[in-house]
Amino acid sequence: MSDGIKRRDFLKVLGVTGAGATLTGCSTQKVERLLPYVTEPEDITPGVATWYTSVCGGCSSGCGVWVRTREGRVVKLEGNPKHPVSQGALCTKGHATLQHLYNPDRYAGPMVRENGALRAISWEEAEAMLADRIRSAAGNVLYIGGHSGPTLSGLVDQFVGAVGGRRVEYEALSEAPLREAARIAFGVDGMPRYELDQARFLISFGGDFIDGGTAPLSYQRGFARMSAVDEHGSKGRFVYVGPRLSLTGLNADEWVPIRPGSEAAVALGMASAIAEGRGAGGPYASVLRAFDPPTAAEAAGVDEDTIRELADQFAAGPSLAMGPSVGAHHRNATAAHLAALILNHVAGSFGRTIHASGGPHSPSRPYADMEEAIRSMAGGQVGVVMIRGANPAYTLPSASGFADAYGSVGFKVSFAQAPDETSAMADLILPDRHWLESWGDSVAREGVSALRQPAMQPVPHFDAKQSGDVLLSVASRLGSPLGGATFYEYLRAAHQARFSPPTGDFDAYWRDALRDGVILRETPAPGTPELRAPDTALAFDAPELDGDGDLTLLVYPSARFGAGDFANAPWMQELPDPVSKITWHSWLEMHPDAAEARGLREGDIVTVASPYGRVDVPVWIYPGLRPDTVALAMGGGHTDYGRWATDKGISAMHLLPAEAEQPSGAFVMLATRVSVTPTGQHRRLAKVSGADTQHDRPIAPAVALADLTEGAPGEAPEEHGLEELQAGGGFVPVPAEGGTPQSFPLEGSRYGQYADAENRARWAMAIDLDKCTGCSACVTACQAENNVPYVGEQQVMMGREMHWIRIERYYERVDATQAGELDVRLIPMLCQHCNNAPCEPVCPVFATYHTPEGVNAQIYNRCVGTRYCSNNCPYKVRVFNWYRYTDAVPDPMNWQWNPDVTVRDNGVMEKCSFCMQRVREAENRVVLEGRGTIPPDGAILMACQQSCPAEAIVWGNIRDPESRVAQVAQDQRSYRVLNEEINTQPAVNYLKKVTFHEVASGEHA
Amino acid sequence: MATATTERGALTHPDVQTLGEVNSDVLRALTRPGKGWWALFALAAAGVGLFFTSWGWQVYNGIGVSGLNAPVGWGVYITSFVFWVGIAHSGTLISAILFLFRAPWRQSIYRTAEAMTVFAVMTAGLFPLIHLGRVWHAYWLIPYPNSRFLWPNFKSPLLWDVFAVTTYFTVSAVFFFLGSVPDLAAARDQATGLRKKLYNVISLGWRGTDRQWHHFGKAYIFLAALAAPLVLSVHSVVSWDFAMAIVPGWHATIFAPYFVAGAIYSGVAMVITLIVPMRKIFGFEKYVTIKHFDAMAKLCLLTSLIVFYAYLTEFFTAWYSGEVVERASFWNRLFGPYWWATWIMLSCNGLVPLMLWFKRVRHSIPALFVISIFVNIGMWFERYVIVVTSLHHEYEPYAWGMYRPSLTEMGILIGSFCWFSFWFLLFTRLIPPVAIAELKEVLPAPLRRQPKEAH
Amino acid sequence: MKKHWLIGALAGVLALAGLAFVRVQDAQEAAAAESPDSYPSGQPIAFPHNTHAGTEPGQLGMDCQYCHFSAERSVDAGIPSVATCVGCHQVIPGANKPEEVAKLMKYWNDKQPIPWVRIYKISDHAHYPHMRHIAAGLKCQQCHGEVQTMDVINKRDPAWGGANMGWCISCHRTEGASDNCAVCHY
Repeated sequence: MSDGIKRRDFLKVLGVTGAGATLTGCSTQKVERLLPYVTEPEDITPGVATWYTSVCGGCSSGCGVWVRTREGRVVKLEGNPKHPVSQGALCTKGHATLQHLYNPDRYAGPMVRENGALRAISWEEAEAMLADRIRSAAGNVLYIGGHSGPTLSGLVDQFVGAVGGRRVEYEALSEAPLREAARIAFGVDGMPRYELDQARFLISFGGDFIDGGTAPLSYQRGFARMSAVDEHGSKGRFVYVGPRLSLTGLNADEWVPIRPGSEAAVALGMASAIAEGRGAGGPYASVLRAFDPPTAAEAAGVDEDTIRELADQFAAGPSLAMGPSVGAHHRNATAAHLAALILNHVAGSFGRTIHASGGPHSPSRPYADMEEAIRSMAGGQVGVVMIRGANPAYTLPSASGFADAYGSVGFKVSFAQAPDETSAMADLILPDRHWLESWGDSVAREGVSALRQPAMQPVPHFDAKQSGDVLLSVASRLGSPLGGATFYEYLRAAHQARFSPPTGDFDAYWRDALRDGVILRETPAPGTPELRAPDTALAFDAPELDGDGDLTLLVYPSARFGAGDFANAPWMQELPDPVSKITWHSWLEMHPDAAEARGLREGDIVTVASPYGRVDVPVWIYPGLRPDTVALAMGGGHTDYGRWATDKGISAMHLLPAEAEQPSGAFVMLATRVSVTPTGQHRRLAKVSGADTQHDRPIAPAVALADLTEGAPGEAPEEHGLEELQAGGGFVPVPAEGGTPQSFPLEGSRYGQYADAENRARWAMAIDLDKCTGCSACVTACQAENNVPYVGEQQVMMGREMHWIRIERYYERVDATQAGELDVRLIPMLCQHCNNAPCEPVCPVFATYHTPEGVNAQIYNRCVGTRYCSNNCPYKVRVFNWYRYTDAVPDPMNWQWNPDVTVRDNGVMEKCSFCMQRVREAENRVVLEGRGTIPPDGAILMACQQSCPAEAIVWGNIRDPESRVAQVAQDQRSYRVLNEEINTQPAVNYLKKVTFHEVASGEHA
Repeated sequence: MATATTERGALTHPDVQTLGEVNSDVLRALTRPGKGWWALFALAAAGVGLFFTSWGWQVYNGIGVSGLNAPVGWGVYITSFVFWVGIAHSGTLISAILFLFRAPWRQSIYRTAEAMTVFAVMTAGLFPLIHLGRVWHAYWLIPYPNSRFLWPNFKSPLLWDVFAVTTYFTVSAVFFFLGSVPDLAAARDQATGLRKKLYNVISLGWRGTDRQWHHFGKAYIFLAALAAPLVLSVHSVVSWDFAMAIVPGWHATIFAPYFVAGAIYSGVAMVITLIVPMRKIFGFEKYVTIKHFDAMAKLCLLTSLIVFYAYLTEFFTAWYSGEVVERASFWNRLFGPYWWATWIMLSCNGLVPLMLWFKRVRHSIPALFVISIFVNIGMWFERYVIVVTSLHHEYEPYAWGMYRPSLTEMGILIGSFCWFSFWFLLFTRLIPPVAIAELKEVLPAPLRRQPKEAH
Repeated sequence: MKKHWLIGALAGVLALAGLAFVRVQDAQEAAAAESPDSYPSGQPIAFPHNTHAGTEPGQLGMDCQYCHFSAERSVDAGIPSVATCVGCHQVIPGANKPEEVAKLMKYWNDKQPIPWVRIYKISDHAHYPHMRHIAAGLKCQQCHGEVQTMDVINKRDPAWGGANMGWCISCHRTEGASDNCAVCHY
């Protein structure tokens, strides 16, 4: 390292005197050593990636993943196409778990706290110490655990059983109300399962299945398939009912901004409107009568017609109603879910779009149990407390009294991988391994399970040990071995017991499970269950709210951080929030009217005060929520969570009461009103969006469903004007209007040197804006694949974020009677690889130019950094290395870098390369295998395309009429951004978003 | 004396009595400098230090120390580049073109103007280097056979710049040097010691023989003819850096003439700014007379009108085009976040010079001085407006951004003025600031003068 | 007289400028160039390529890819694992240099990798897929020199021009391979 520094300084001197450095800072000036393996592992070929299947540990969804390793290092995660929950996609958080694996803030090894300071000890000592304490605790052991696979939780139960104690399953974000509602309604134990792609009408009562939730990927894919217009020109309709437009809400065709907490009323109102005809509703008929449409409308603050209309559309079916998810969990959340289930039942959705059980796993009574745990800790009945996979000191409000209760326990043990607010108080720290270093398994939902296998040797910087191994060895120290010396053996044994494989050969079963990355079981499809009378008293009315403030506080899980677990991943910090497009810090969402009433401008710092606490936070003006509400995202304001998270933003939990919803026992998020008072201070937001509307430019035009020509895809709309202009101006017209992405080189263009371009591939992309949900998985996937550095809050504020692909978010105001208040346009913007690229002629040194495959290439090591190309790029998709951002990436986080992609140095322009390294790799393969020179269609996936849960991105050789991209590009909705205006001839086709309402004129669409 | 003036009023330099006094007056400037000069020189030297320190700092840390970003990839650096190239223009105009047209008022100011040109180009030439992300690779822009088998991209206006600026520098430098050879000889004949040695060398053994004068005249007119077209070409090329791009606000056909006019405009203003104090300090009142200022002021007025017309044309075409983006761009210029820059530009370059319509203003040297300062400021902001406001609101609304110059950029901007002054101050002490020989040509021949005692 | 030495001076200045320029360019190439020609330390084990790959009598004439195993299927040629060496050398004491073989066995017994000094390297911003070049019929010797005749390799062979893009380009052009930048730079 010191060597590196010297080298660099030396270079800088040279730089001044004019001598050059290669991009990588001529890493070869020093003696370089080649270290061979002592014995080479048979599954590793240097320079060739090795893939393993595993199960993502980022959240409890249990998505199957493929892990790409190079020379024994994990460099990239991709979704496992065989796994029904991930279906080949991977969410942005999933990618970011790599930055947990290589996070420099991880604990270096087991440590014990002695008079305040942590001292490193050996695992031997640590386990011995834990064993003693447990022995002396004499049965008063408390284990608090977050999500973990079935086998590990089985082991934990066995362990606490053996040593005498209790186990509390706690997750900050839990869908318990839905589970409870299902139990009440049908007496089933388990989560209902949605099949969104089966629905034609989807209504979500604050259910944010895209922001996060229990199965974001499969639900999102189902949603995209349901809501995107199909070849018959029909399109499923999505209505979002709730006080605030979440990321999920942004994708709605219609927004019904109801009073916070009045979901049940609307659902029941619709149900009763439907039931009027059918006399359905069973034991709930009385409730339905109580909530007839007028009453419901009154309660929700919408007009009756809206409800009746929704009811009609819902009755038409097949339709699906979704209850409120975590952000909307109020004191009557279970009732709200029950109401949604009743609605589904009345409309006969069960068995078609929703199944009473078989849904994703979710802990039973997360917060209620925690309350008891806190009480017993405070009561001094706990001798030893062990916490794994949870950070209650941060995720619970101070009102819960967790910190004090926890602090009062004699011996606190933390299995945290990296410091967090809870482990900061622990006496003994037994750092767990990252999921990519561990064995494990998952049950994503009934009938879908998978094995987790270590994809690499543990990162040598950290002496971590799998919690399972620790528990096993501690148990045997306590003289009660639980079977299996290591967790691996335990896991194998457990599976041998649990799944009796069809073929008697367990090894074969194990091999297949590891190879496929998923174990599928036939599950009997549950039919239409019967509604049962409620066994507990439930109030369907909007809940009472605490405080006398005039604004209702909405606290929602961040699409980037969840409950805050991902706050120490710089990728997540720098990923623009899908809704606000703000990075790194927190913000308070406020309706324009509410802000105006208080004379607040964007960036003004205000004090938000509830009966339980107050925070100072800058305002962000957002038309997507009710004027009588304000919203805060979770995940900010960590006090001790590593270098990227600590003191970034604020934690909304300080404003909330500590209360469990009855009867589900979930934590109540929507509970209080707040007052907002200006502090007089102001700050610049680290926001990446320069404007919120398109300013009459056809960047992301839409087309009304009615305007689509029925049936087969027609021709792309004619683009006029330019040819006439050129003729008028006496130019030789470049055949622009006829031009499609495959027409390269352009006739009359200067690229004629590529005489054989006709026989080559012409790489192009197509993006369906009717599918894109704005989830931003592509952004992080690209960042992981292409060594795109993060730059930090200050640099983002200066407008220097480096993402190669970004999701632009525009509002289009439309007639409120048609589509709520907002028509939101989301468009992924990346290098358009123009046939007629403005960036190319202006580069004085040919650092950017066109390849024979029609890709607009950027040669980093040739770039001298004039930035002329960026100035001349109408899409502004070129990003510049203003500093040595890549040097700022600490060890070992730089282990994640993709060795197939050059790491860029200071002063160099970069941009999307159409994943050139993937193209080359595929080409090398087909050439070596003698299968021509052009890889077959689908053999190459762009990193963004691969991760997209909505299947919005298609990429391939557009010169091949059989290729998918060529066919998609033929769609009648196909257009190319600004092509008509400036004839750039992009290689990226977009398919217009389809709206149910008439699209405002003056939009060139 | 009074009578003398009345009779001699028709002459450009009425108060110059004998040819001899020209030498003595002008060469007096080259004698031991006073405290004021040293103070200025020290200041300039310090500024040069600031200039290179800031630049070094930037090279060491990366160009991130500037305020540049996406979308605004060019800022103060390119603004200053264009500004200084513009300044450089009037020099050649006054010396070469006015020479070819035999303008009677150029002799006493063209030396200063040429010096200014050379130093301004020296300053301008640095900025394209300064704004590079990897300046140590700047030589890749030079076409030479290399081991990579790579050539620069001759389609890129930036490459044209390389040629335009270097050519202009070479020619104007040679022209400047050649023109001053006879005067250097004159200086040599008076100088002593080290200076004598220096002048011995750089006066190229000038003896003033007929043969030398003959060759000199030929060479001079030849160079003048060579330099004249450059006045038009160089700034046209510079303007194409913008006009060739598709950025709304840059992509305009009028840019070349518009920039050339602007260049001459700012250049003449700068000449006034420099000549006024020189005239005072060195007592050149005799040689640089109201007539000169009047002529320069008129030139200023003319070019300012052209420039202002160009502004109006830009706005008109933007409106007339009906192009959403184009219109938005110019609307944003007037009323967007950078409105102040635009209004500084319009008032300094459009309104202030209108005062030059009045003879009393043209003949008031303090007024001219102040106006010239305004014009310099206005012309710098003109380039700032073109570069920054066009870039910060471009096609893609989502990618719009703001640009705030950083301290480093300010240091380099201020430093560039000092770097220029540094050379200019040296010039005033080393080379006769007024063209002695040529001045004598326009003085009335001694014979025709009536003896004073006749009165 | 004066004129003459003035002209001389001018010529000198020009010459210097030119010189400086070429120097700059060389420096740039040097920056891209790989490790210095030789090392005081030398290789950790004096491995004689000729004994192994040589075809003279008494030499083994092994195929390069026996040890550099991934050259034909990967971008990297591959460095043999210690096990590969030991595979033979636990039965072959090494006739002419037993002490070097002893070193090898020591590494093996300590389960340590052999810290070979890297001789050939292309800058990280250029990608060189070995397998494509092998498939195209290139001989290792074309870039690495007549390795089979060399004893311990401590310096680059003159045949090697990896520091110099022109070297790659000229071959690509004569062989009709692509000279499109993005084939190697991405």
